[in-house]
Amino acid sequence: MTSRHPTRLFKRSDEQLVSAEILNGISREELIDIHIDWQPERVEALKNLRAQGRPWPENWHWDWAAKADNLNFLAYRCVAVECEGRVQGLMMVSTIGWRGRLAVQTGKPVLYIEYVESAPWNLAGLVEAPRFSGVGIALIQSAIQVSADEGFAGRVALHSLPQSQPFYRRYMHDLGIDASHPEKLCYFEMTGDQANDFVKGRPL
Amino acid sequence: MSEKRTMTLNLSDAEMRALEALCEQKDLSKTAVIRQALRLYQLVDARLASGGKLFFEDSNKDKAELIAV
Repeated sequence: MTSRHPTRLFKRSDEQLVSAEILNGISREELIDIHIDWQPERVEALKNLRAQGRPWPENWHWDWAAKADNLNFLAYRCVAVECEGRVQGLMMVSTIGWRGRLAVQTGKPVLYIEYVESAPWNLAGLVEAPRFSGVGIALIQSAIQVSADEGFAGRVALHSLPQSQPFYRRYMHDLGIDASHPEKLCYFEMTGDQANDFVKGRPL
Repeated sequence: MSEKRTMTLNLSDAEMRALEALCEQKDLSKTAVIRQALRLYQLVDARLASGGKLFFEDSNKDKAELIAV
């Protein structure tokens, strides 16, 4: 069952904050519909980049529909941020199997962010004029809320693609390259204190 | 989160001690530990039912198959 909570995004064309909603617990079918909504603009943007001889972003191949079956299990949850009638960003989290690696939270459960992505029209690496900013911040804040709801005190972790690492480094501990990760990505972890700071000092 | 439903859980002394030890180790409430256990059990059971196998790997990269019911 999806619950809705207010949030805000920055609409670049109007240069102002606008009301948006966090949709927590979207269904498998809803996730597939969002994938269908996003895909034409993703493909068009990739074609434009190729025509311009510019590189594709590292997450160009992500396929949310292929991840939808995870939502058959209680262990996974999908969160979306919606604004002006369309989903502007998606996040899939896992509530089991991840234990803190930082000394202050070794062995304690953390909420693991499996995937987080802005809609294709909001990605600076994909389009020249992204429509909304703050999607990632809104989703990280909702991850902190899910973590708190699970009793994890706001602890959150993820592996980041190189293009996103500067963003996470501002708010989380960078534990460096994870040799056990299939793609050898950097591992980031947020403590409960960092989560509190993030929520209190949220940039938007 | 979605609406909650309440149940009573009867445990033996040993089971309660195990639950309380996990709560202490994980810094979680009893409800949160039971919720974690249910999610893990559901996922593992579905994977085993579809023909998957569950392994633990030790520090020598040796794998031991775990039989789950």
